[in-house]
Amino acid sequence: MGKFRTTDRAAAEELFNACYPRLAGWVRRLVDDDDTAHEIAAEAFTRLLARWSSLENPQSYLYMIATNLVRDHWRRAGRERRALRAVSAASHGDPVFHPSQDVHVRALIQSLPDRLRQPFLLHYYAGFGVREVAAMLGRPEGTVKADLHQARSRLRAALGENGA
Amino acid sequence: MPEPRDELKAWLSVEVEPLLPPPGTFERVSTQARRLRTRRAALAAAGALAVAAIAALAVPQLVIPALQTGRQANATGTPSGAVAAPQHPATGAAGSPPAPATAGQPVPAQAPPPLSVTFVGAATGWVMAQSLPAGQCDQPAAPACIVLRRTDSGGASWRTVHAPPAHGPNGPTGVSQIRFLTRSDGWAFGPQLWATHNAGRTWTQIATGGLRVTALEARGRRVFAVWARCAGTGAGFASRCASFTVYSSPAGGDAWAPALKAPVAGPGPGGGAASLLLTGTTAYLLSPAGSLFAGPLTGASLQPVQGATGAAGQPPAPPCPAGPPQPGGQPSGALLAAGPPASLDLLCTGQSAGGQQHKTIYASSDGGQTWQRTGQAPAAGTASFLSASPSGALVLATSLGIEVSTDGGTTWLAAGGTMPPGGFAYAGMTTDTQGVAVPAGPAQQGVWLTYDGGRTWQPSPAGG
Repeated sequence: MGKFRTTDRAAAEELFNACYPRLAGWVRRLVDDDDTAHEIAAEAFTRLLARWSSLENPQSYLYMIATNLVRDHWRRAGRERRALRAVSAASHGDPVFHPSQDVHVRALIQSLPDRLRQPFLLHYYAGFGVREVAAMLGRPEGTVKADLHQARSRLRAALGENGA
Repeated sequence: MPEPRDELKAWLSVEVEPLLPPPGTFERVSTQARRLRTRRAALAAAGALAVAAIAALAVPQLVIPALQTGRQANATGTPSGAVAAPQHPATGAAGSPPAPATAGQPVPAQAPPPLSVTFVGAATGWVMAQSLPAGQCDQPAAPACIVLRRTDSGGASWRTVHAPPAHGPNGPTGVSQIRFLTRSDGWAFGPQLWATHNAGRTWTQIATGGLRVTALEARGRRVFAVWARCAGTGAGFASRCASFTVYSSPAGGDAWAPALKAPVAGPGPGGGAASLLLTGTTAYLLSPAGSLFAGPLTGASLQPVQGATGAAGQPPAPPCPAGPPQPGGQPSGALLAAGPPASLDLLCTGQSAGGQQHKTIYASSDGGQTWQRTGQAPAAGTASFLSASPSGALVLATSLGIEVSTDGGTTWLAAGGTMPPGGFAYAGMTTDTQGVAVPAGPAQQGVWLTYDGGRTWQPSPAGG
């Protein structure tokens, strides 16, 4: 994950070509469809390029933006699902869900508090080291390690409960 | 059964599958980033100009004028997509002197006053305006003078796009409002109805059998509209309406069909207004008599909402009657908004006198079956539009400015920024942070935008 500090359009395009497919793919595993993934990835790049010259680590910034955009998407989707459930419950009884394993784990990660979810996604999923995550989030490394441990524990517990 | 750790590990160990960008993505991203930078720079410059103007005024007069309007900063009471706005009362005011520009307010000289605005996301929106003064554009013999401007940069820049070949509202003819559900599917209406399904490249007029379209909203995969039998003339196309009904169509086509079993009658010779509201799951119609109808977004017929404590078989009366129509057709007595996830907010207004108006907020969490009083909005100013952000913040447009409540209407904060004389005809939130407002004054140009949840608003030169 190199640094890109030039304002040259060619460098921006190089970063885009190098990072967009993986970023969009990363987002795709966290949302429901390709269109949303492209929308979030493109918006993250838009915000990145708008601040291009003032960034120390563009790639970190990119994933931070994407993480926040995914969180916002989850919140919106959650509200829509709750509304749909309310209507379904009123007219057709309990809704039936057929979650795939992927969606199942994702839903659990989604349920983590922001404080734990952000480092979890950035470290385990986007592949940033603990030190990088600490710098991105402005937290001490020890705090990030503790947060990661707590996130894993919660997810394991939740998976255990659901699997029981 | 797999161990919990295994399931988590398996999920995390799946290699991310790259998703290649659609063609042209980098160019689009670069353009939008450039516009975002420009917008930030413009806002920063506007802020600096405002500060400079204040300083210049303050030194000789030893008085620092407030950036906000002259109202109280906040008020406490005791116990509100594609978004879209109503027509503002531009007609009938031709010849009004232009309002003096406020310090730091970048108002373009040639931008026509906006009639209506609609956004389909944070970036893309359209503004409808007239290329001729209202008194001229409203004439049926006038050349097509409705203009549409589109932004793909959240309001940083606008460009002219194809508009329906129509004139301004005049009795049974003309259009005054715009809605888009997606970048492709949009409608111009009030009172005539036009539709596009190719991003505005072509527009088709929809036959309404002499009925006037006084409200239209789109959500999910459908569009709903209020079709009314009215006798109002001139700009008052939505007045003196004898009956109202709801029609619906798939958003991607023009297959309009009734979505209400029988038209509902107006309250009397003076007529009233009907309000149309779409939530994520339900279409609501607040009839002039104050009855509430609801139905699914599938286009199935709307049914009277049965009150939990109302008389058997009778729809419950919402806390206040809809009242006479505003110029765009929205009721003036009861303003309805959709909160999350399926709650409804209702603003009941009293008589407006001396610049004051009693404004009470009610909320319903059971689809309008029961209503609870939640608060009172500041009395100053006349209410024109109530909306709610995705997370439930209420935004109230008034003749003085914009009021925001983040606690369901219990307490209110007067929005800051450069407020136009005459306040706003519409204010709505596209996201929790970004919103758009249409000024009420006919001399005002452009639309107003917020990027901080409605706390501050600044003009966007929609004519630029």
